[in-house]
Amino acid sequence: MLLKVENLTKRFGGLVAVSDVSFAIEKGEIIGIFGPNGSGKTTLLSLLAGLLPPSGGRVLWKDQDIAGSRPNVIAALGVIKTFQNPQLFSELSVFEHVMIASFLAFTRMKHHSRLRSFFSPRQGEKALRARAEKALTLCRLQNASTKPAAELSYGEEKMLGVAMAMMCEPELLLLDEPASGLGNDEIQNLENVLRDLRAHGTTLCIIDHKVAFLAKFADQAIALQEGRKIAQGRPRDVLADADVVKAYLGRHHHA
Amino acid sequence: MRTLLLLIPFYVLPLLVQSDVVLTVLIFTFVLSILAIGFNIVFGGAGQLTMFHAAAFGIGGYVTFLSMLRFGISFWLGFGVAVAVVIVTSIVIGWICFKFRLKEFYFAVVTLAFAELCRLVALNWNSVTNGTLGMLVLEKPTVWLPGMGVVKIEQTLPWYFLTLVCLTGILIFSALLMRSWIGRNFSAIRLNEDLAQTLGIDTFRYKLLAFTISNVVAAFAGALYGFYTGYIDPAYLSVTQSLDAIAMVLLGGVSTILGPVVGALVLTSLPHLIELPAELRVAVYGMILILVILLMPRGIVGLVAGLLRGRVSAA
Repeated sequence: MLLKVENLTKRFGGLVAVSDVSFAIEKGEIIGIFGPNGSGKTTLLSLLAGLLPPSGGRVLWKDQDIAGSRPNVIAALGVIKTFQNPQLFSELSVFEHVMIASFLAFTRMKHHSRLRSFFSPRQGEKALRARAEKALTLCRLQNASTKPAAELSYGEEKMLGVAMAMMCEPELLLLDEPASGLGNDEIQNLENVLRDLRAHGTTLCIIDHKVAFLAKFADQAIALQEGRKIAQGRPRDVLADADVVKAYLGRHHHA
Repeated sequence: MRTLLLLIPFYVLPLLVQSDVVLTVLIFTFVLSILAIGFNIVFGGAGQLTMFHAAAFGIGGYVTFLSMLRFGISFWLGFGVAVAVVIVTSIVIGWICFKFRLKEFYFAVVTLAFAELCRLVALNWNSVTNGTLGMLVLEKPTVWLPGMGVVKIEQTLPWYFLTLVCLTGILIFSALLMRSWIGRNFSAIRLNEDLAQTLGIDTFRYKLLAFTISNVVAAFAGALYGFYTGYIDPAYLSVTQSLDAIAMVLLGGVSTILGPVVGALVLTSLPHLIELPAELRVAVYGMILILVILLMPRGIVGLVAGLLRGRVSAA
């Protein structure tokens, strides 16, 4: 078991954003979490990534409780999260972004090559630069590599977020609405990137409200409503679940 | 790195200019540049608005001199003691500030309070620091030169070269630091600390590192300053001293390698170039600073770099 979530709860004052949610993720699997706006999807991912401290429950990463750890500690363990609204270091170039994101890979390098890279970054970080180029090419950003990130389109910004996450060599990648705001062509590309990640053994946890997008991908789906888990199983079954239909699609929808 | 070649003219300048006044102004420029570079590492690099650099500057001067007196050691060993003191102080203060996640204004105020605390110690510990009167520094730094053995640095010309070589060394160090993974992590923290953290960067540790390195560099400037002027007093640790360094960095160009040097050069030579009554001079000086900061947010270096880039792309 890669990740096990037990009775995870998050309260903001009187509001319970995530309520007693439990599930597990196996290595190599793609898990889709969906639910209407305000159902606690983003809060759930933020809890897993350590961006918010939980009010209760446990998050077990390879049997180690990581609930409440700092985000950089969780990231170093191999859990990386992307953001729904792209987070960037605006004034830096696209390439500099992926190089910053190569920090975890850098810390896994040998001591002497790290020391060497202080005096000659180009030589010392050759392998990282090659990987950065590859990630950018995969995300179709190779031509924007010297552009300041502030000049990117929304779709490019989102793909840059994915490229940065890839550079971190995650074991588990948490994607917060990766397809929202993307055009059809861009979604197609995103799907290719996600397939590539999966082929390399990365476990994915995707939240999205585009049900079709998730249904195509996920091995397992979880439906949330008002912070509670209302269904879990194969995507097709979850989508057909009476509670889900009612909560998500409205009571007059006939599946 | 190539921008450092701009320092070469300063190495040949003494062949052309023998004026003691010019060389003295440049010695002050070089020493204050080092202080400004220190501030630029933590502010221009990691985006943390510290007000502690003047305290580090003062500690550098005081501890180097006092340990020479007490332990009978050389300038460089004395400076080693100062470095140790500054590292410990920086880690304690940085730990407190960054653990409590103090940012921007709050970080500035708390570091300022610590700097004032240090200044009050220097002011009131009469038996050690001689209080308000300060201390006369009669010792001189020595350096070993090939073919000449150990030389005392006393005259203007040796001081000129000593401070220029020190500045060059610090500039090379800061350029290497800023383009390394450490500098990359610093800018990640400056531009988006939360994102940096989700990418696995231990922002607490890197902010502490930036703060400590910056204070050690400032302490080096303080030691050189004290021994060059031959006088150390509590004003070294004052707010004015901190603000002067900040003004140099803003004027020259935040987050640029040469910005602090350009800023120090302008602000150190300006008072000598403008022949005005003292009170009026301060006003003029303030006006220039305000205008420059309003009109050139990236400082002189940023402006020049922009113009050069514009010409390249136009061609």
